[in-house]
Amino acid sequence: MSASQLWRVLLIALIIGAAIVTPSSLQAQEADTLQPQTCAVTGNLRDSQGQPVAAVEVTLADRDGAALLSVESQPDGRYLLPWPADQAVPSNLELQYERPHFENATLPLSETQREDLSGCQAVAVPIVELERQITPAFWIAAVVFAIVLAFIAMGTLHNTLAALLGASILFAFSYLGPLVDEGLFIFEFERSLEFVDWNVIFLIMGMMIVIAVIERTGIFQWSALQAYKLSGGRRWLLVIILMVITGVASAFLDNVTTMLLMTPITIQIALSLGMNPLALLMPEVMASNVIGISTLVGTPTNILIGSFAEISFSDFLINLTPGVVLAMVGLVLYHEYIYRKELRGSQEESGISNVLLARLQERGQIEEPEDLRKAGIVGAGMIILFVIGEQFHLLPSVTAIMGATALMVWIRPDIDEMIESVDWTTLVFFIALFICVGGVQEVGLISFIAAWIGDLVGENLVLAMLAVTWLSAFLSTVIANIPFTAAMLPVVGFLSGNIPGADNKVLFYCLSVGSAMGGNGSLIGASANMVTAGIADRAGTPITYVYFLKKGLPALIITVALAMIWLFIRFL
Amino acid sequence: MSGIVCPIRGGAASQPTIAKAISVAKESRATVYFLYVVNLDFLLRTTHTRTSTIQRELREMGEFIVLAAQTKAAAQGVTAESSVREGDSVREEIVRLCHEVDADVVVLGRPRQAESDVFTEVDIEDFGRRLAREAGAQVIFSEAAE
Repeated sequence: MSASQLWRVLLIALIIGAAIVTPSSLQAQEADTLQPQTCAVTGNLRDSQGQPVAAVEVTLADRDGAALLSVESQPDGRYLLPWPADQAVPSNLELQYERPHFENATLPLSETQREDLSGCQAVAVPIVELERQITPAFWIAAVVFAIVLAFIAMGTLHNTLAALLGASILFAFSYLGPLVDEGLFIFEFERSLEFVDWNVIFLIMGMMIVIAVIERTGIFQWSALQAYKLSGGRRWLLVIILMVITGVASAFLDNVTTMLLMTPITIQIALSLGMNPLALLMPEVMASNVIGISTLVGTPTNILIGSFAEISFSDFLINLTPGVVLAMVGLVLYHEYIYRKELRGSQEESGISNVLLARLQERGQIEEPEDLRKAGIVGAGMIILFVIGEQFHLLPSVTAIMGATALMVWIRPDIDEMIESVDWTTLVFFIALFICVGGVQEVGLISFIAAWIGDLVGENLVLAMLAVTWLSAFLSTVIANIPFTAAMLPVVGFLSGNIPGADNKVLFYCLSVGSAMGGNGSLIGASANMVTAGIADRAGTPITYVYFLKKGLPALIITVALAMIWLFIRFL
Repeated sequence: MSGIVCPIRGGAASQPTIAKAISVAKESRATVYFLYVVNLDFLLRTTHTRTSTIQRELREMGEFIVLAAQTKAAAQGVTAESSVREGDSVREEIVRLCHEVDADVVVLGRPRQAESDVFTEVDIEDFGRRLAREAGAQVIFSEAAE
């Protein structure tokens, strides 16, 4: 076994092992089933924003402070201390609450509560609000997260390396910091893993394998050629068909892969027609960013949002597709206008040689028709499971892994090649990023931001929708939208729980629209933009930052505004 | 004259370079060798590792770009060959091809002052001298296109 194979096997083992041993989000639904029982003290812990506080050490102590019982609060903030029925209840009892990043608190039990406990009855104490404590760890986690974002935005470090560096610094402070000052502690390793959303990791992993099989079939090149044929060489029509093909592909596969495969063939079509490739590439990549949000698996941000807010595949389809169609109409008209000179001509006018056209025909062939047929069947099955799976609690990650495995068993590709096709760098990036976001969540930064936005918008849902959508759209042009979305999820969760009328998850849809369509605003706004620009540059047609900004910013405003109109119609 | 090497990327910026190479070849009745180098540096800024797929796609694109240049040459009665290579260094690939075809002339496009240019104004002159020294080829610069 080579070193690289060994590395991959170890990584797979680590991911699967961590998913099994950590009380992750996969098991979160089952974890909150604390049933009140006799001979027990139960209660609930909240922070000052009314959010549940997990992992608080709750101790039942006597008047001398001696601990009698101790438990940790659950993810929903509840706790239960079972009192042994045959044990006498001391005269003075109090509950003590301890958790890093919160002020310690105590709650004395009343005489009535003590008597109830003596009589072996359940004692439910009132909700206790714990006050946040700003420790040096707060500032460290905040600065580390800001540095990670800056490194990613400026490209100083590879995304994965930047996130890993951030996670490592958090661990270094958590384990070595308390030797100097206890206030430097952020979280333990086990606690940090609770912030990793394994549903997201496995969903992305499964989809990567499916994509690896599909991309070898030549379907993208074939589709692009069909677009060319269908348009009859009319450029204005060609661009619309290419936008639709790219967009629909992006709704089911990841945008980066779609653009990786569509960009080279699009450039060849443009050269055959004697036109500027950018008049086709810019609309394509923007369509990819817009249509991708119609489904759960269309963009990494939707995968994050769907998993966090429990928004299903069909929820995204129903609640966002009309808005996406509206945005696409605006996007098509916009591109037809800004590239009107380039899109005016036709194939006959360009007088390009038949040699190039023949070569194009040769490229646009389905290379593995049998594999494509099988991938189509499995893909259709996966979509059905994505849609109906929620009814029997089938997680999308499980569907993706099952689909990927079924495809590999049926097609029998080279397993090493398939494992190699999984972008482990991206998966490690997500894991490290979750830990970095978990750090700022743990120390309370996210709560402060949520409270600040909450104060800003008050109880006004329209204002909250506008704030979340436009803030995420414009910030996504300068900050990579994946870390931004990951950080915004708890903020939007807080707002959804506190603003009247937001419990239908509308603010999460706003985040989806803003973070994905915001990617159209600048070259660094989406990975698909960078990949398209990279390939275009290799064909001698560079897309500069300024060029993308000039074309992309109006597109962002048009598409987000149109999608916003739909969200108002749908949810208000 | 045995051969003219003309490294290109395609696009509008390469057109004056291609035209220059064809015109020199026409005068000297030499063969033009259009060179395209597949380079994946741009992936360093994205989280993507499926380099074999991308490499294959870029190779196909490169073959199309040099075919377009060959077609132009053929239309003017000039014999043109093509070479698509993979490598981290465009410069090394140019030198290598010069040795392989025993090139007398290399036609290089002047940089457009763009961030993505392979050469800057200063080092393209240095590279020209290197080609003359190592491959014994005369270097002709074509003006940068707008």
